[in-house]
Amino acid sequence: MIPRTYLFCLASMLVTSLSGCVGSEAKIPPGYLVIGIESSPNHLDPRYATDANSSRVGSLIYSSLLRLDHNSRWFGDLAEHWNMLDPQTYVFQIRKGVTFHDGRELTAADVKYTYDSIMEPRNRSPKRGPLKVLQSVDQLGSHTIRFRLSAPHAPFLEHCTIGIVPANAATREQGGNKLPPGSGPFALAKIDPGEKIILTANPSYWEGKPPLPGLVFNIVPDAIVRVLEFKKGTIHLLQNDIEPDTVSWLEKNTDAIIETHQGTTFQYMGVNLTHPILKNQKVRQALALAIDRDGIIRHILQGQATPANGLLSPLHWAHDETITDWPYDPAKAKQLLDQAGFRDPDGDGPRTRFKLSFKTTNIDLRRRIAETLKEQMRGVGIELEVRTYEWGTFYSDIKKGNFHLFSLAWVGIFDPDIYYNIFHSASFPPNGDNRGHYNNAAIDRLVEQGRRESDSRRRKQLYSQVQKIMHEDLPYIPLWWAKNVVVRKPQVVGFTPYPDGDLFSLKQTSLRKAPGRQ
Amino acid sequence: MKRYILHRLLLLAPALFGALTLVFFLIHLVPGDPVEVMLGETASAVDKGELRRQLGLDQPLMIRYAGFLAGLARGDLGKSLYENASVSELVGARLPATVELTLSAMIVAVAIAFPLATLAAIKRDSWIDRGALFFSLLGLSLPNFWLGPLLMITVSIQLGWLPVSGRGGFSHLILPSLTLGMAMAAILTRILRASLLRIVNMDYIKAARAKGLGEPAVWLKHMLRNALLPIVTIMGLQFGSLLAGSIITETIFSWPGIGRLTVQAIQTRDYPLVQGCVLVVATSYLVVNFFTDIIYKLVDPRISYEK
Repeated sequence: MIPRTYLFCLASMLVTSLSGCVGSEAKIPPGYLVIGIESSPNHLDPRYATDANSSRVGSLIYSSLLRLDHNSRWFGDLAEHWNMLDPQTYVFQIRKGVTFHDGRELTAADVKYTYDSIMEPRNRSPKRGPLKVLQSVDQLGSHTIRFRLSAPHAPFLEHCTIGIVPANAATREQGGNKLPPGSGPFALAKIDPGEKIILTANPSYWEGKPPLPGLVFNIVPDAIVRVLEFKKGTIHLLQNDIEPDTVSWLEKNTDAIIETHQGTTFQYMGVNLTHPILKNQKVRQALALAIDRDGIIRHILQGQATPANGLLSPLHWAHDETITDWPYDPAKAKQLLDQAGFRDPDGDGPRTRFKLSFKTTNIDLRRRIAETLKEQMRGVGIELEVRTYEWGTFYSDIKKGNFHLFSLAWVGIFDPDIYYNIFHSASFPPNGDNRGHYNNAAIDRLVEQGRRESDSRRRKQLYSQVQKIMHEDLPYIPLWWAKNVVVRKPQVVGFTPYPDGDLFSLKQTSLRKAPGRQ
Repeated sequence: MKRYILHRLLLLAPALFGALTLVFFLIHLVPGDPVEVMLGETASAVDKGELRRQLGLDQPLMIRYAGFLAGLARGDLGKSLYENASVSELVGARLPATVELTLSAMIVAVAIAFPLATLAAIKRDSWIDRGALFFSLLGLSLPNFWLGPLLMITVSIQLGWLPVSGRGGFSHLILPSLTLGMAMAAILTRILRASLLRIVNMDYIKAARAKGLGEPAVWLKHMLRNALLPIVTIMGLQFGSLLAGSIITETIFSWPGIGRLTVQAIQTRDYPLVQGCVLVVATSYLVVNFFTDIIYKLVDPRISYEK
């Protein structure tokens, strides 16, 4: 009796299990390019997209008025041309003949609806906060739209990269998870939650049908597994989110073409300027001199970064070339600490000048970097207590100012107005991201001017002064600018990486037949 | 028996209530703010306050707890804070993948453990026995985050036999099931072997042999049946652990199950979704253990639940 009961249980389990498998079979259509990504995009609707993957995938589905090219220069996407009538008024002429994926023509009414929908508080759009300077959006004709601002706001064009949805598209509250159609080079075909997102080429895209029949974004959370999938040939393209150690393995063991490019992602050490020790400028300069950036980049990051001297990378139009790098100079660091009144109590002995905590996330790479920084700080007599946290807890602490030192990165820096958000005295949390409570009247004045100034030459001069002050004052200790790493199969042709990791060049990418394959 | 079943069913409710209460307070006490994630850092304090009010996050914790219980009583698990879908819908979409993986891991564990333990007990102190013990030691010592990639590299990459990760056909199921089921196979092998060796010299076994029964009949009908009781207990407990503990395996193998959904919900502080995931896992655990108790009676008719 028992073996029969047991066998019955086993058989039922097997049947249930296999029936589950049959229902979940999902094949990749032939000719589609497969891109490995780390996590599911949270919201593809451009009115709600905040995470990087939502923006990157969404930018292929939704066209926007403007876009940035791979040299970070503006070009018209839906906008045929645009004018700044005065520092508070922008007028855009929209291309005629652009259609949404459902065949409807895109007009100025759709642009107005998209922005009005974002500005409506009931719709809970995260884009509303940054757009608070927008006073009104007026439709001047079927293909002409005017934006009026409540004050001159030089970085306004950045907000013209929001994807356009059709007029009367349901909001998140009204429409559940149904995604409104876009007008970009690809249309959404299918979302398998937690598994993959499939896009198909838009045959009526205004620039012509993309060469690829479609794209598959394969969600593979583990970095090593993404690399193994690439080796197996089930992923054609990986961009960033690659463990530095695996790059050399890929070079030796696969047919990968690996390209690294200067990126704009800025990794820094955040400083709590209300701390009695850290509010001393000499201490912050000593910290900057005590870090061997080249060593960390060479040995831990495997060369996938360049030492940073400030927030804006050399690719940025406002980057000040005269700003020098912070050298690794422990002797000078010790000297500065002595001058600041923090003498080493026993020279090279075990006692330290002072102790600080350093918070970071529990990601293995971040932990290794933190341990290295701890050793480097010990070299100048500072004890760094490394504390690693799960992301939510870590970020909550940083927002509350509950830290001495921490490490984070700014991703996708474009307009230098970011200085206002992170260093202006009006930007202390919760009003902005000045988490270290940096307060400098000269910086406040300069970033306010920079925000209002529409002449780019004059703006560059203003932000040049900001960079010089930052270099001396060090409210952030610059670490490095991460490089963009692209790993692709040889048959992937025409992909151009963007400094901020955008994937828009997939619209012109094609997939050659692999030699020896059908 | 009926009274016992009713009694056990009634006990399920407080156990479930306790688990959900604990999770409700723990997740709300952990630092982190879903409104920050939803509206972004640049949202004004007024907008953040308004959203907090709309979501009921401005209410005292006890009022929110009461609301949560009231919803639960109506069978309403609430709406995810980010996905704009009901929690039951989201959990329901991911549950089949986790059940599929857990059941397959169980099958793998049983398929490995039963023949191996039986052979080890028959050939006690032989190389097979020592091999089985070594295997069980190995199975218990190898963590999933190491075994998974190792299997991928050897079976998928070097031999090219199976896909690396993802959910698809039967071939996609083999490696994650092996990874998840290995530790359970190791435990079952050890316990079943010990259980069989405990009864191998019992009088009723000697009597069965003296009756002239063949060795397969002695082992299958008399020994295995009597050795099954501890195995049923372990399988019941382990099934719940597999269900709840498949997070690492699901992450490694890009398996779209409840485990990954739970991690994602915790990271974004999606309180209703975390509670929904915990409810499903806790219920499964309790239900499986409830059935384990019932199966005892089937396995060993001497067990009586009547007073």
